[in-house]
Amino acid sequence: MDIFANLLLGLETALSLQNLTYCLIGVVLGMLLGVMPGVGTLASISMLFPITFYLEPTTALIMLAGVWYGSTYGGSIASILLNIPGTPSSAVTALDGYPMSRQGRGGVALLMTTVASFVGGSVGIVVLMAFAPLIAPHALRFGSAEYFTLMLFGLVVASTISAGSMVKGLAMVVLGLTLGTVGADMYTGTPRFSFGFIELTQSLSIVALAMGIFGVSEVITMVRRIKPGDVDPKSVTMRAMIPKRDDWRNSWAAMARGSAIGTFFGALPGTGPSIAAFMSYAVEKRSAAKPERFGKGAIQGIMGPESANNAADQTAFIPTLTLGIPGSASMALMLGALMVHGIAPGPTLLTQQASLFWGLVMSFWIGNLILLVLNIPLIGLWVRILMIPYNLLYPAILMFICIGTYTVNNSVFDVWLVVVFGLLGYIMRIFEWPAAPLLLGFVLGPMMENHFRRSLLLSRGEFTTFVESPIAATSLGLTVLVLLWGIWSALRRRQGGFVKP
Amino acid sequence: MFSRDYRDVAGGLVLILLGVAVSGYAFSQYDLGTLRRMGPGMFPTILGIALALLGLLQVIPALARPGQMPEIRVFSPLFVLSGCAAFALTLTSFGLLPAVAALIVVSSLAELEIRPIRLALLIVALCLIAWLVFGLGFGLNLPMYRWPF
Repeated sequence: MDIFANLLLGLETALSLQNLTYCLIGVVLGMLLGVMPGVGTLASISMLFPITFYLEPTTALIMLAGVWYGSTYGGSIASILLNIPGTPSSAVTALDGYPMSRQGRGGVALLMTTVASFVGGSVGIVVLMAFAPLIAPHALRFGSAEYFTLMLFGLVVASTISAGSMVKGLAMVVLGLTLGTVGADMYTGTPRFSFGFIELTQSLSIVALAMGIFGVSEVITMVRRIKPGDVDPKSVTMRAMIPKRDDWRNSWAAMARGSAIGTFFGALPGTGPSIAAFMSYAVEKRSAAKPERFGKGAIQGIMGPESANNAADQTAFIPTLTLGIPGSASMALMLGALMVHGIAPGPTLLTQQASLFWGLVMSFWIGNLILLVLNIPLIGLWVRILMIPYNLLYPAILMFICIGTYTVNNSVFDVWLVVVFGLLGYIMRIFEWPAAPLLLGFVLGPMMENHFRRSLLLSRGEFTTFVESPIAATSLGLTVLVLLWGIWSALRRRQGGFVKP
Repeated sequence: MFSRDYRDVAGGLVLILLGVAVSGYAFSQYDLGTLRRMGPGMFPTILGIALALLGLLQVIPALARPGQMPEIRVFSPLFVLSGCAAFALTLTSFGLLPAVAALIVVSSLAELEIRPIRLALLIVALCLIAWLVFGLGFGLNLPMYRWPF
C-alpha cells in the first residue's frame, strides 16, 4: 500500500532529531506564550514566525504547527484557571472550565482538556491523511476560474459566519485584499501604492501586519486592564488532576461528537476551529440529560468543544495544503511561512514535497503526544506564569514583537509598519472590525488577483468563464447562498427573533 | 435621549473614505487596461469601490439603530506605539540594547505611573534576555550597542 510508504516517510522525517527537537521547542514555546494572559494563538505564531526563517522549510512548518497547538492549549489553561480566553475557541472552554476550577476541579479540567485535544487531534489527523491525497489529484485540474471562485467562497464564508457582522467581515476581507495589492504588479511590475517608499515596491511584510493587528493592538487593549490571577496552586497538583470514573464516562460521547463536528467544519474553507467549538458546545448542551448543568462546570462542555477545535485544527490543513486556500487566519500564517521558504502550496505539494507533507502530518501526532506528556510536569510552571503581573509582561511582549519583526528582513521599515498596523489594529477594535478576515484577505489577495486576471485573459474578457466549469459554478452558487443566508439572518436579528444558539 | 450607533456610522464613513481614496488613486495613477487584459489599476479600483459600498452598507442601518460609543483609550495606544517607534528610531544608530531600553521606558509609561527601581530591573532583565536569545542564540546581524558620535 502506498499509504504505508507515505506514513513511513512521514515518521522518518518527523522523528529525525532536528525535527523532533524543534517540534518540542515549538510546543513548549507555544504553551509558554499561549498561557500568558492576553497573548492569543495568532500573536504567538507571529511572534515566533521570524525564528523559523533560520530553519529548513519542513522543520520550520513542524515548529510553527507545534507553536500553534501548544498555544491553543496554553490558551485553554488561561481560560480554565482565570477565565481569560485568548481565542474565541478557548472562550467556549472557559464557559464550563472556569466554573470547574472554582469548584476546585481545575486540575481535572486541565488534564481532560489534553485528552480531548489528543483524541480530537488524532481523528482530524486520520481524516487529513485519508482525504488530502484524494483531493490533491482533482485539484491539479483546477484552472484559474476554479481557484478564483473557491477563494471567493472561502473568504465570503470566513467573513460571514465567523465574524459578528457580515458587512464588517466582508469589509475587512476587502481591506486585506487591498493591502495585498501593495507592491509591484505581477504582470507589469508597476509599483502600486508605494508612495515613494522604496520598501513599498515589495509587498508588505506579513509578519509586521500580523504583529501589528494581533500583537500590539492586544497589548494596547489589555494594559491596565488585566489583574494578576489568583490561582490556588493546590487545585492543580498531580493528585487533583486525576479524573474520577464519572468524568471519563461522561466524556467519551462528547469527544466522539466533538471530533466529528470539528473534522467537518475544519475541512470547509473559511470555517475553522472556533465555529466548530461553538457548534459542539451547542450540540452537547442540546443532547445532554441535564442541560441545566452547562455553564456550571459540566465536563461535557469542555470535552466536546476541545475535541472539536483540535480536530478542526488538523483538517483545516486539507484545504491549506492541497488547494493553497487557508481556512483561517492561523492557516494563512502557515501558508505565509511556506511561501517565505519559496514553496508554493497547492496540489503539487503532496507529490513534490512528499516528505514535507507526511512529515508534518506525523509531527502533529508526535506534537500532540508531547503536549499530553509535558502538561503534567509543567503545569505548576504555567500556573506561576499566570501569576506574573501584566505590567512586567507587556514590555517583554513588545520587545519580542519589535526584534522579531526586525529580524525577518533586517528592516527598520518593518518595525515602523508594526507601529502603523498596531494603530490600525486598535482602530479596528474600536469599530469592532474583525482582524482575522483581514489577514486572510491579505494572504489570498495576490493569488486571487492573479487568478482573476488570468481567467479573464483566457476567456477574452467573458465573465461566463466563472460559471462554465461545474466546480467554479458550484462554488459561486454556494457563495451566493452564503451571502443570502447572511442577509436573511441579519434581517431576522433586526426583528428581534434571532437567538444565538 | 436616543443615541444612534455612532460607532458604526463613523466606521462606515471611514470605510467609504478609504474606498474612494483607494479606487480614486488607483484609477488616476495606474493603467486600468481592459477586462480582457487588465492593467495594474483594475483590481485595486474594483476593491476600492467594494470597500466604499460595504462602508455604505454599514452606515445606513446604523443610522436607524441605537448604540453606544466604545471607550477610546488615548494614553495606552500613544505610549505603546511610541515605544515601538522609539525602538525603530534608535535601533540602527545605537544598537539593540539601547533600543530595547528605549522601548521599555516609553512603553511602560502606558501604566500611567513610574516606578524607577522596578523599571531599571525590568530593563536589565529584558536586555539580558534579548542578548541571550538574539545575540547568542540566533547570532543577530546587529551590534548590541554602538556609540554613534
